[in-house]
Amino acid sequence: MTLLKMDGITKVFPGVRANDQVTFDLAPGEIHALVGENGAGKTTLMKILYGLYRPDAGTIRLRDEAVSIKNPRDAIARGIGMVHQHFMLVPPFTVLENIILGKESQTAGVLRLEEPAREIAEIMTRNGLPVDLSARVEDLPVGLQQRVEILKVLYRGAEVLVFDEPTAVLTPQEVVELFKTFRMMRDQGKGLIFISHKLDEVLEIADRITVIRRGQVVKTLQRAEASKPLIAELMVGKPVFLHVEKAPPSPGKVILELKGLRQRSPRGNLVLEDLSLQVHAGEIYGLAGVEGNGQSELVRAITEQVRLESGDVALEGVSVLSWDVRTRRDRGIGHIPEDRHRYGLLLPFSLAENLVLGRHHRSPFVRGSVVDSAKVRSYARESIASFDIRTPSELTPANALSGGNQQKVIVAREMRFDPILLVASQPTRGVDVGATEFIYQQLVAARSRGKAVLLVSADLDEVLSLSDRIGVIFKGRIIREFAQGEATKEQVGLCMTGERQSA
Amino acid sequence: MRRTKSKYRVLEALSPILGVLASIVVLLLIAMAIGEMPGKTLNAIYKFTLANASRLATIFSLAIPLFLAGLAVAMAFQANVFNIGVEGQYFIGGLVGALAGIYLKLPAYLHLPLVVIASMIGGALWAAIPALLKVRMGIHEVISTIMFNNIAAALVNFLVNGPLSGRGEKSLEPQTLKIQPTALFGKLNHWFNAIGLNVPAHVYLDYSLIVAIVMGFLVWFLLYRMRQGFEIRAVGTSLEVSQYAGIRVKRVQMTAFLASGALAGLVGLQEIFAIRGVYTFEIAAGLGFDGIAIALIGGNSPIGVIFSSILFAFLKQAGYGLQLYTAVPNAIIYVISGLMILFIVVTNEITSRYIRALRRKEAA
Repeated sequence: MTLLKMDGITKVFPGVRANDQVTFDLAPGEIHALVGENGAGKTTLMKILYGLYRPDAGTIRLRDEAVSIKNPRDAIARGIGMVHQHFMLVPPFTVLENIILGKESQTAGVLRLEEPAREIAEIMTRNGLPVDLSARVEDLPVGLQQRVEILKVLYRGAEVLVFDEPTAVLTPQEVVELFKTFRMMRDQGKGLIFISHKLDEVLEIADRITVIRRGQVVKTLQRAEASKPLIAELMVGKPVFLHVEKAPPSPGKVILELKGLRQRSPRGNLVLEDLSLQVHAGEIYGLAGVEGNGQSELVRAITEQVRLESGDVALEGVSVLSWDVRTRRDRGIGHIPEDRHRYGLLLPFSLAENLVLGRHHRSPFVRGSVVDSAKVRSYARESIASFDIRTPSELTPANALSGGNQQKVIVAREMRFDPILLVASQPTRGVDVGATEFIYQQLVAARSRGKAVLLVSADLDEVLSLSDRIGVIFKGRIIREFAQGEATKEQVGLCMTGERQSA
Repeated sequence: MRRTKSKYRVLEALSPILGVLASIVVLLLIAMAIGEMPGKTLNAIYKFTLANASRLATIFSLAIPLFLAGLAVAMAFQANVFNIGVEGQYFIGGLVGALAGIYLKLPAYLHLPLVVIASMIGGALWAAIPALLKVRMGIHEVISTIMFNNIAAALVNFLVNGPLSGRGEKSLEPQTLKIQPTALFGKLNHWFNAIGLNVPAHVYLDYSLIVAIVMGFLVWFLLYRMRQGFEIRAVGTSLEVSQYAGIRVKRVQMTAFLASGALAGLVGLQEIFAIRGVYTFEIAAGLGFDGIAIALIGGNSPIGVIFSSILFAFLKQAGYGLQLYTAVPNAIIYVISGLMILFIVVTNEITSRYIRALRRKEAA
């Protein structure tokens, strides 16, 4: 028996075949991975399954019964649950409120909270997903917010669970935990669809792997016949090497120095605790750590004005604390933000405008106060050419591009401003293999031009392969630094959990 | 390439037209429900709007203050500031302008620009308080500007009745002293007559038309050619991205708010300096609120606001026609303008989604 069978699914957006005769099935007690580059059509397929889009052609069968899924409520009622990449949570609500939202029960108009709380607590222990039910979601780190998403789906009794890049925000240990949860759910006979860019994880957990490219299924592989190079090749249609070529490090003077940073959150707990580190010219310093251990606060302290309890941030020996964002940018701090949609791009604006954003107020882009649009456009065309941004023109709005290309726009912008220090936060999150490789090359190129690069990433492979030195952040402190070569993935991973002395 | 660009333009231009047509259909349906045949309704509208040069010129005359009001609201909207206070700002701006017109003795070539500037300063000053409250203390401008509208109305009422009242002037309503002849706005009707458009003498196409055209151009230039305008649009699109990019968001919002207030100060020019020649508490109210609708329909762009203000002026005229020739009440025009906003928002959303999909396809 199949749990789910999607057959001949076709979805055409005006002019684009997002899905073309896609066939995909899922057995009970199976983890089926769906891989493909950004824009390959995975998300569209899952949105069809979840009732967010109607297919133009094709059928969906659940337990051998043809169904038509009209909307997400329909999907949920039929036992389909989705853990979204961008969380669908109400930030000021508590964890409990978020989980029961849409499935609330009441007694005489009063919300019933205790029964659901007990039920959820049980789901938590059964699946190894502990979260404080009374915490507000907005106060939780991203990793925990994701647990809330998973709990939401489980609470609704989903039989088919879709996970859209669930590991992007997790540490290796958390991934291990998540995969334990996956296996437990599989053993309960649930079917899991696992979307990921991380091929190691796919190979570790999946029973079958379906590769999609340009809206079509390239191949469905059994775990036994799959290998990392094979999948990567099927995904992009050509072999990709993720190995990073890098000259031996030749660090110069100290560019960035953080001295004893101490900061409290609005709720009063320490988020940065006497944190110190140095990044040298010609060096990539990788910051590894479980999401929510102070990385965002640390990045913010470097790139913008924040209230610190004590400590100093210095760029080439000069304190930056009194500088606002503009001054910091003008003095040579570049920043690839962790959330490109929220911070990185003016989505309705043209690529040309986005490519000068942050330096739009300076020569040669303005004369006096008047924008020199010819300069802006020619500069943008250069950026587009040298960073291989796939776009019909520099006047195309940023929201017309795929995720990988949008990220290239940000990387191109920050690189071409030629900063002294580049803070790169999750630079390849949600980016396809081809663009990832390109971004790696760019970071290494910045290093060889003598720039200081601070790389903050939840992807440990990325940190390990790019960094000359690695600092592990835990509860707002750097608890250990490794030089390249002395760190193994296991050591760093263990350290990220707060274990100072690794085996 | 060029062709696809212009295709998007045509699509973008088409959507408000569809919205307007849809709302006219609704108007006809309502009129039918009241018992008027569509032919008669359309004829009533036609007679009052497009039938002759006089009616047409009246529409353009009515459009001038509406354009300035729409432009003022749009200016603030561009920075994501909701200036609901245009109403109060033109009451105060007009008063400050009128005072400059009454109490200063200057030759006309100085006096005329001065009253315009004084009106702008008055409007900007009235906007400055809610602007500061927003930027410094985070008080939402919708609440403060609505309150300031009421305060402005009360203040103007008090001043015109009390300290500034022009006692001795023969008038049934409280008003100021008369504005000096050197500050009065003359008519431009003869310019139009010279190029063969017959504008009757009773229609006001006065100097405020020039002010409106100049302001429209300046706002367009600021928004689309200057870096301050770029920053205003960036802030209006995303506060977070703007902050990340080092744009001084509060300063930008303050600038846009004050500019909006300054433009609002000009809304009363025509009535005060061309039509009445005095400032009274009776000057037309509600233009600030019309301005919100006009800005929305015009997509907050100066060019869009030209069309939407003319459309609104057309609707106002059409309302008079309906009132006179049919059983349809004048107030229906408010229903229709509300519907029009709704329809245009919907059709805009549909076309912009369609355009985005086309662009994605092009980019893919």
